[in-house]
Amino acid sequence: MNIIEVRDLLKSYPLPGNKKETFNAVDGITFNIKIGEIYGILGPNGAGKTTTLEMLEGLNDIDGGSALINGLDVSTNVFKVKEIIGVQLQANEYFDKLNLTELLILFGKLYSEEIDSDDLLKKVDLLGKSNAKPEELSGGQKQRFSIACALVNNPKILFLDEPTTGLDPQAKRNLWNLVKELNTAGMTIVLTTHNMEEAEYLCKRIAIMDKGKLIAEDTPQGLIEKYAPEPQQLASQGNIEDVFLALTGHTLRD
Amino acid sequence: MLTSMQLHLAKVFLKIFFRDRQSITFNLFFPLVFIGAFLFLGGEPDPIKLGLVNNSTNTISKDFSNLVKGDQLFEVTEGEESDLKEQLLLGDQTAIIVIPENFDYSDKTSELRLLLDASQVRQLGTIKEAINTSLISIERELRKSEPMFSLKIEDVKARSQRYIDFLLPGLLAFMLMNLSIAGSGFNIVEYRRRGILKRLFVTPIQPKDFIVSIVLARTLIVLMQISVVLGLAIALLDVKIMGSFFSLYGMVILGTFIFLCLGFSLGSIAKTQEAVRPIVTSFTFPQLIFSGVFFPISSMPEIIQPFAHALPLSVIATGLRDIANDGVSLLIFNSTTLGIVIWIILSFFTVTKFFVWKEIAS
Repeated sequence: MNIIEVRDLLKSYPLPGNKKETFNAVDGITFNIKIGEIYGILGPNGAGKTTTLEMLEGLNDIDGGSALINGLDVSTNVFKVKEIIGVQLQANEYFDKLNLTELLILFGKLYSEEIDSDDLLKKVDLLGKSNAKPEELSGGQKQRFSIACALVNNPKILFLDEPTTGLDPQAKRNLWNLVKELNTAGMTIVLTTHNMEEAEYLCKRIAIMDKGKLIAEDTPQGLIEKYAPEPQQLASQGNIEDVFLALTGHTLRD
Repeated sequence: MLTSMQLHLAKVFLKIFFRDRQSITFNLFFPLVFIGAFLFLGGEPDPIKLGLVNNSTNTISKDFSNLVKGDQLFEVTEGEESDLKEQLLLGDQTAIIVIPENFDYSDKTSELRLLLDASQVRQLGTIKEAINTSLISIERELRKSEPMFSLKIEDVKARSQRYIDFLLPGLLAFMLMNLSIAGSGFNIVEYRRRGILKRLFVTPIQPKDFIVSIVLARTLIVLMQISVVLGLAIALLDVKIMGSFFSLYGMVILGTFIFLCLGFSLGSIAKTQEAVRPIVTSFTFPQLIFSGVFFPISSMPEIIQPFAHALPLSVIATGLRDIANDGVSLLIFNSTTLGIVIWIILSFFTVTKFFVWKEIAS
């Protein structure tokens, strides 16, 4: 059963340098996400991944098409949708002078919920840091804390925007395990990433976006079989990175 | 009614503020330095150096001279007009009063000449007002006026003789303007730049919850800081609040509301942290100069007086002064309360027009 249904989703912005004309950052994409899936959106910089996520999260207006989350139309029920989703943004900053416990309690209050902050910190392996300020945490700890903040409302769907960018291999692996655990407990997870290994390791299905369009969607193995070079002979040697480069080309994007 | 979410967020803003010791210190620094300076000076301004030329020989002029000399507001030097004029030009005298030869007020009005150095524009209005008030007082004394009149005179004198009484309400208004604009304008830009607003916006918090919390927290912060300064002024400088504290604090709350709204608008216009400073300065600086915080608006050139009177800081400072010095109630409708109502409407209209939550958050 689908928990997210996206139809012809469109977002346009004025063209930089020529405000009279527009370009489509997200150009009529359609996809469904099933309950309990880890769904990855892959794409080069500027492909429209974050914009897509932000439209689903209610941070960005939808210019065309529709997005249903748990049966709710995001355009008309944005606050109800926000109550059932958890969001980890690419950059996470918090109010100064508050420690992790105080921040979690604050986020809980924003959902009108009383939370057990220790339980959440334990879940992300930060119980020993409850009195620390976010700026005192390492990169990996910060990312785990931002996930804890996204979990305060016990969401049905968790959105993660490039969760492991900038993390060392240990921190990355630790975060993957956390994502797997949350998914095993029944949470649907939607993530964007540049990291092919991450997409391949975590995601049940992957969508590849480029220039605002969704150019491929399948399971990691399905994509490898379809798009990796010389699939008949080299399928076992190919990986999702090969698929990605085959589909989006080798040109630098920024 | 306030929701528990709004109350909690307001509590968080208060917590953040009280943990920022540096900010508290510097917010209180400026007004406390002023109070300290007045304490050091004994709370009274220096007397006005007044040259007195008595061209008359009659008893009335002598009585008049003695009363002028006895007034604590003046440090009187008697002498010839030409000598005193030289001293005035050198800055040794502030003003000269010339008593005409045929000084007599029993059957006609005598004309006293007041010589001033017009280059002292800044002080001109204050001096004229102070001298005029004192001379009226002396006149009443000579004429032995009715008691009803002398009551009125004491009131006028009390105001002009104590500069701190004039200054304190203006200082409080200036303080509340800075605290409010820092709390809304600067914070909004800072929260936006750091992505904190975006993080808040992914939760079901509504813009009104956020605004209500900031307004609540900032109003409490302003009330607390103003109470500290006011308390010290009352305890150490013997400042008397003629009106009720209900009216005074009511006015502070209304002023805070106006400046918070204006601050939100300024913060919404500013796209970057670099832009917010000049934008806020171009708003607050003219008000510091033209709002009669340090000198009465009546001492300014007439052409700018209507503009000066219309500024929000002038309206609040005048309102606080009316309450503190004249005992006017906040509930009495006059031109100041009308000004406040107009500014509440204007600032509220501006904030609803400029404060676009989505743009702020993204």
